[in-house]
This record gives sequence, C-alpha cells and structure tokens, in this order.
Amino acid sequence: MASCTDDTRTTKLVEPKPGRKLHRKLLFLSGLTLPLPVLAGYSFNFPEPVTPIARETLHIHNEFMLVITVLFVVVFAIMIYSMIRHRKSTGHAAARFTGPTSALQWFWTLIPFAILLFIDFILMGIPAVKAIVNMEDTKTGTDIVLKVTGMQWKWQYEYPEAGVKFISVLATPREQIANAEPKGEHYLLEVDKPVVLPVGKKIRVLLTSLDVIHTWWVPQFGVKRDAVPGFLRETWLLIEKPGIYRGQCAELCGKDHGFMPVVVRAVPEPEYLAWLETQKAEAKAAAGGADRTWSTEELMAKGKEVYDKICVACHQPNGQGLPPTFPALAGSKLVNGPLLGADGKIIPDSHVDRVLNGKAGTAMQAFRNSLSDVEIASIITYERNSFGNRKGDMIQPAQIKALR
Amino acid sequence: MKPAFSDADLERRRAASRRLGWLLAAVVLAIYIAGLFVKR
Amino acid sequence: MSTATTTHPAEHAVADYHGGWLRWITTTNHKDIGTMYMTFALVMFFVGGLMILGVRAELFQPGLQLMKPEFFNQLIGVHALIMIFGALMPAATGFANWMIPLMIGAPDMALPRLNNWGFWLLPPAAFLLTLPFTLALFGIGDGALATGWTFYAPLSVQGGMGVDFAILAVHILGISSIMGSINIIVTIFNMRAPGMTMMKLPLFAWGWLITAFLLIATLPVLAGAVTMLLTDRHFGTHFFDAAGGGDPILFQHLFWFFGHPEVYILLLPVWGLIPHVLSTFSRKPIYGHTAQIYSFIAIGLLSVVVWAHHILTSGLPLPALIYFMFSTMAISLPLAVLFFCWIATMWKGAMSFETPMLFAIGFIVLFGIAGLTGLVLADVAADAQYHHSYFVVAHFHYALFAGGIMGVMTGVYFWLPKWTGHMYSEKLGKLHFWLTVLSFNLTFMPQFFLGLAGMPRRIPDYALQFAEFNAISSIGAFILGFSQLIFAWNIWSCVRGGPKVDGRVWEGAEGLEWELSSPPPHHSWETQPVVK
Repeated sequence: MASCTDDTRTTKLVEPKPGRKLHRKLLFLSGLTLPLPVLAGYSFNFPEPVTPIARETLHIHNEFMLVITVLFVVVFAIMIYSMIRHRKSTGHAAARFTGPTSALQWFWTLIPFAILLFIDFILMGIPAVKAIVNMEDTKTGTDIVLKVTGMQWKWQYEYPEAGVKFISVLATPREQIANAEPKGEHYLLEVDKPVVLPVGKKIRVLLTSLDVIHTWWVPQFGVKRDAVPGFLRETWLLIEKPGIYRGQCAELCGKDHGFMPVVVRAVPEPEYLAWLETQKAEAKAAAGGADRTWSTEELMAKGKEVYDKICVACHQPNGQGLPPTFPALAGSKLVNGPLLGADGKIIPDSHVDRVLNGKAGTAMQAFRNSLSDVEIASIITYERNSFGNRKGDMIQPAQIKALR
Repeated sequence: MKPAFSDADLERRRAASRRLGWLLAAVVLAIYIAGLFVKR
Repeated sequence: MSTATTTHPAEHAVADYHGGWLRWITTTNHKDIGTMYMTFALVMFFVGGLMILGVRAELFQPGLQLMKPEFFNQLIGVHALIMIFGALMPAATGFANWMIPLMIGAPDMALPRLNNWGFWLLPPAAFLLTLPFTLALFGIGDGALATGWTFYAPLSVQGGMGVDFAILAVHILGISSIMGSINIIVTIFNMRAPGMTMMKLPLFAWGWLITAFLLIATLPVLAGAVTMLLTDRHFGTHFFDAAGGGDPILFQHLFWFFGHPEVYILLLPVWGLIPHVLSTFSRKPIYGHTAQIYSFIAIGLLSVVVWAHHILTSGLPLPALIYFMFSTMAISLPLAVLFFCWIATMWKGAMSFETPMLFAIGFIVLFGIAGLTGLVLADVAADAQYHHSYFVVAHFHYALFAGGIMGVMTGVYFWLPKWTGHMYSEKLGKLHFWLTVLSFNLTFMPQFFLGLAGMPRRIPDYALQFAEFNAISSIGAFILGFSQLIFAWNIWSCVRGGPKVDGRVWEGAEGLEWELSSPPPHHSWETQPVVK
C-alpha cells in the first residue's frame, strides 16, 4: 500500500496542473477518511540521517519527543480525570485547600519538580552536552576544508587546498515557479552545479557571506550554521553514504530567500578526486582566458550566459530591474556612462566600479572575488550592449585583471 | 459614606506616583543611552 | 488646565466630561481607556489576521500564485509586529486598565493623563507601520518592512523605506508601552486600598507588575538597537557592518535581549488571569497564590538571561551554547510550578464549563505543547535541526496564539459581562471555542511535521514534498480566521444588550472587582472597599 501511494505521488508530480490539482484534492480528501495508508506520503520526522551528527540529533530528538509525550499524557490525564470527577453537575462539593499543609503533602508536591529537574539536567542535559561538544569539534582529524560563501541568492563553494571555486544557483525554470509548466520532481531543490564531496572524510565547512546573513542547511546532515558577512563560522560533516542531498537557505535573506537551494553530491573518494581534477583543469583554462583578446561576439555570448545566472534575479531578464530596490539597467545612466577614465583607471561610481565593488548598503554586491576576469568583462560588455543600451564599447578580461 | 481615599491621602499617593514615574522614566532613558555604547 | 490634583475625582470628572467622540479623545477614565485599548487590539487582530491569510493562501500550493516574494516578506514581518505590538500587548494593557484599579480598590490609575497619552500613541504608530503598503500602491517606495519582525542587520540596512517607517513605529509603540508600564507600576505601588498587601495582591496584578518591569528593562534596548540601525542606514555609522568594525550578530543579541523577555511580557498577564478563571469555575480558592508570585518573579529574572537561545545557529562559542541551553531549561521549573498550581486549583473543585473555563483549559493544554516543545528547542544539538524551520513557527504559535491570544479570549469572556452588564451568548462562545481550538491545531500541528521534514521559515514557495501539510495548514488557517468573526459578533451583541448580570456575574467569583455593580459605575470605589 505504501509503495502504491508513492507511485501516485510521482505520477502526480509530472502531470499537467489541472490534473495535479484534482489529484491533490482527492489525496487530501482521502487523507481525511483513510488516514493510515495515505500517511505513507507524509513525513513525520527528520529525513534519513547520513552523518554521525544527524544520527545523534535524530536519536536525541526521538528520545526527547518520547519524554515530552509522556509528560504531556501524564499531566493532562490527571487534569482530565479531575475534569470528569470534580464537576458541579455531578454534585461534587468544592474543597477549600490552597496549598500543601503537612510535611507529607509537601513531599508529594515537590516530587514532580525533582523529576523535572532530573529530566532537564540529567536525562536531556548530559546527552545534549556530549552532542554539542562533538558538533563544535571542527578541527580534530579534518581531511578537507570546504568554504561556503552565501550571497543574494546563490552559494559559492571553494576548495581552498585545490584552488577550485564556483557558484551554484537554482536550476528550476521560472516557468515552473510561475505555474506555467508542470513542476519537476526536485522543484526548488535543484541547482546548476552541485557541490561534490567525498564520503567517509571529515569535512570542515567554513561559512561566510558577502551581503546579508544566510544559513546553510542540509537536513540530512543535521547541521545548520549561519553565514555571517565579515566573519567566518564553521561546522563539520562526515557523509557516510553516497547520494544527492538537498537543503535550503534557512535565514530570511531578501526576496529570493526561498530560491537558493543547497545541493550536495556525495561520491566515493576516487570519483571526488577525479571530479576535482576536471575542475582544476577548467579553472586553469578559464584563468588562461583572461590573457587572450576576446571578440565582441564571444564576450556577448559569455556575458548573456553569466548574466542569466548571476544578475537576472534582481535586474530581470529584460534589464528592467524591479525599481526602486533593484534599478533598471536598460537606459541606466551608469551603464551608459563612460567605461574607464582617460588614465585607464576606474571612475568612482561607474559601471565597472559598481560590478567590481558593489554598492554598500544595497543588495548590489561586490563581484570582485566571486567572479573571474572573463566573467566580469563579459557581463559589463553584455550589459552595455543589451536591453536597448547601444554603447558599442567593450572591455577585455585582461583589462579587468589589470584593474584588480 | 466614607470615600476610598481622603483628598489629602489621594494627593499624597498621586505625588508619590509621579515621583516614581519620573524615576522609572529616567531608568528607561539610562538603559537606552547605555545601549548605544554596547560593544561586543 | 484642570484642577485634577486637588479636587475630588468625581467632581473633576463632571467638569471634564465631554459627550460624543471628544469623550474618547480626552478621557482620563481607566475604563474608557481600557475599552479603547481592547477595541484597538481587536481591530489589529483582524488586520494582522488578514495579512497572514494572504500568506497562507499563497502557501496553499507550491508555486507562486498570488504575490511576489517581496510582498510575501512584507506580510510576514508586519503580521508579527501588528499581532505583537498591535493586538496582544494592547489587549493586555486594556485588561490592566480595566481590572487593576477594580482589583486593588483604587479610584483610577495613578497617572490618568499619561494613561490617555499612552493609548493615543498607538493608532499613529499602527498607521506608520502599515502606511508603506498604501504608498507602494501609489508607486512611492517599495512597500513595508520586508525583513521579518526581527529586523536582522544587514538585511534591514539594505532594505527600503519600509524599514524606516517600522523603526519609527517601533519607537512610538515602545514609548506607549513604557508609559503604560510606568502607570501600572506606580498604580500598584501607591493606589492599593488599605489592607491590600503585596502578598494579597491578585495574581493578575502581579503578572502585570512583572511584565511592566520587564518592559522597562528591555524596551529601551530594542529602541537602542533600532536607533543604531537607523544611524547605520542613514548617518554612516557601522554598528552592524563588519567592514567598519561592527558586527551583525550584535544586533541579534540586542534584539533578543528584548525579544525573549517580550515572550513573557505577552504571557505573564495571561498567566495572571488564568488562575482567577480556574478558581471561579472550580468554585475553589486559587492554589499556591504565593508560589505563583515567586514563579512569576523567577521567570521574569530568568527571561533576561536566556536570550541567545534564539540565535544558537549563529556560531556562538561552546561555553555560551551550554550556558544558554541550561539557563533556558531552568525556566521549565517555575513554569511547571504554574502548571501544577493551575491543575491543583481545579483539583477537587466543583467545576462547570462556561466559555471562559473552556478557553482556560484549552489554553493550559495547548500552551503545554508550547512549553514542552520549547524544552526540546533549548537543546542545542537538536535545535540545529529545528532552528529557522517551521518547527519553530509552530512552537511559538502554540505559545503566542494558544498561550497569548486564547488567554486574552479567556479574559474577554470572563470580564465582558462585568464591563457591559450583559451576558454574552454562551452558545456562540462555545462554538467559537471549539472552532478555534480545532482549526488552530489543524493549522499548526502540521507545521511541526513540516519543520521536521526540513521546510525553512519565511519562504514564499516550497518543494513538492511539503505540499500536503501546507494545504492542510492553509485550510485550518482560513477556518481559524473566519471563526474569529463569531468572537467579534459575540462581543458586539454583548455590548449592545443581552441578559442583565449582577455584580458577581459568576457563582464562584472572588475578589474586590466582583463587589462592584456590572457595569461598574464610571467612578469606582466611591466607598472604601474591605479587603479580606
């Protein structure tokens, strides 16, 4: 029966909208009448843990839920007993006591509090302290460091030892979010480039942010840590099982807070090392790109690709932005202003300055450290020659490299 | 009929209330200003 | 200038009495001001409720159907501010204004004109808070505060002018609450009838006394934090900007230094009134009056030293994590004393189950869920999973709706006959209770499971695995919202008329307030009450 319900769920997801809607209604109605079989599609606890921390957290959670359920049942059973027995309508006469009077009564009164003290500080407290100490131990026996940088509304992953870094953004098409297309199986939990990590290795995760506070969270890892701009935070993972694990940003970070998922692909170590090598090669090729001269067509094509990934959330596909918070690029004074000063330097508050250094106090972040020379040059060139902007000029990756 | 408080008594209580009220307001202001100098 | 300080209150009132709407603007009478507070709270309850129904409608199905994420973010934050500062706090202050002078045998609040001022700051503040919505309709600005009610920097530093409006509104609301608190403290200290010692003081007044002290200790900190935010936004300071030597987490510490006591600020008046209701309908004196007073004090003291349990994932040092975990767990002890006393008050009584009693029992059970889930949330290890998720949303709605709002409803049904002299419709009251309790659980119980499954808070759209519970939750929210119309109708008809009640109203009612007629005369306690 359980597998049958699972089947309905998967088919439901790929069906066109009206049918899906009906299906959900039916599912919901049947949920009211036939709770048990349908409940197989509902989740009542943490997802399957895949790290030691997540397993410990699940264990602690289950234990605590049991404890508080027992407390709840016992306390309210007493209350309900009283509500049934001590009613005016059954002729019960009210007592007049207002507190314990004898030593024996005091003893019985204090017993529940002694039990609670034991539950709080011994039964729950001791395993909790052990778990926290373990959770905070990011430095013992670390094999790999992964640096995670949150930015509105994407994650950048960096492997400092290998010199590899890349940005990972939501891959769900806008049409699905706008209900114009059926939603895929991993709706809102899919990215263009997942972060790849080896299984069985202790990974120290360093977190920071470029703009506002974000929170990196993968439920199956059992860790959640804020990425605070200007500070480094840390946590650790040891993934025990290969697979694809999905999570989301958990701290409200602006308009697309709900649209910056975390996707981790955990693979055996050899596969991870091979992947890392291809990344290194790609990074090298990209860095080499900065030294050659690019044609306008190349820059425009690359620029569109990067714009649609990095800039589009705020400035929109048509460059109209979402004023007043996110200004339009089409017809913008800044974009249509001079490219560089006569001395070849950056003009303050110019287009190049804005893309490299951002604007403090706004959502416009500095892309100096998150994008490559080629990407920055191509974005600037693209923006100056799109959305009705007709500057006709371009900037070379080599120039950006020199300006840094 | 004996009123709840005599006029003199009521006036005394109101005056004490005003004094305590100003004192509490001063405490509020002090906490507010001290708050601006908090460093972590 | 009136001569209020030297004349007898009754004469003063005759001289100052205005008919029509001027009466309400110029009134210094605690009952009039209490009524205005209650009315304002009810209106704001519906305003905040409408906002969240918009949110729940958007969350009914995955995908964006009704609104853009920017607008969604505005609705959730303003909903919280309206419900906390516009509905719950004014309702509690309304109770205090109406009942504390009656309970302690005072002719009025000690500082009546301050009282009037405290109320009349509220409507402009609520107007300022919601004005950016209207302005945005006319193309001015980008709408209201979109940072959630917590204003976390640097998101709030980068936000639009809605943040400035909210900062201004919070300052005004804060001043209003401070004035109300000062008035309540001085009234309790100076205006008690002869024989009313502090230990005989009714629990409702005690709960409010602790609340008032908490407000005085913590609201200036919130005001300081949002002032610093304002200067960071406009005057080039760097309190919360790491690039200028500041720290975004400092804001969170300051905010929650206010924010956690705020939870008890909202709940202590309710914890104060629940024993009165239980005792009345069990026809038995309150159990553990003194123990409850000491618990209130203990909770008040503990509440200002546990704030960082709201930011356990922000990267606090290990000793801080352990300290905040254990200090938070310690709150469960005085809270358990309260639960014990509530149930012991009912034990061996002669109970009947009128609407206020039903709400009080509903409050105890559902608030029990809030307390117990709060205990597990304190555990740092498990909190890593619960934090920022719907588990937290469910937890604090059990605390603030079932604990706060249902507590206020208990008080309204309990005291409305005293205020109006009429009995409300018991039938509609019971219907309101059952609809509220069932739809409340239908709304928020699924949110616990959503949080456990990994759904973060404050997202306008969600992955497909969360669809079923969200649909159930939205249906529950709409039933819950529309059930409140019964409440409003019941209050309205009770104010307009209904069966007359005597001074005591309820068979088991004890306390000074029940010795006056219902409704009490415009000037209570013309004769000195006898305190038993």
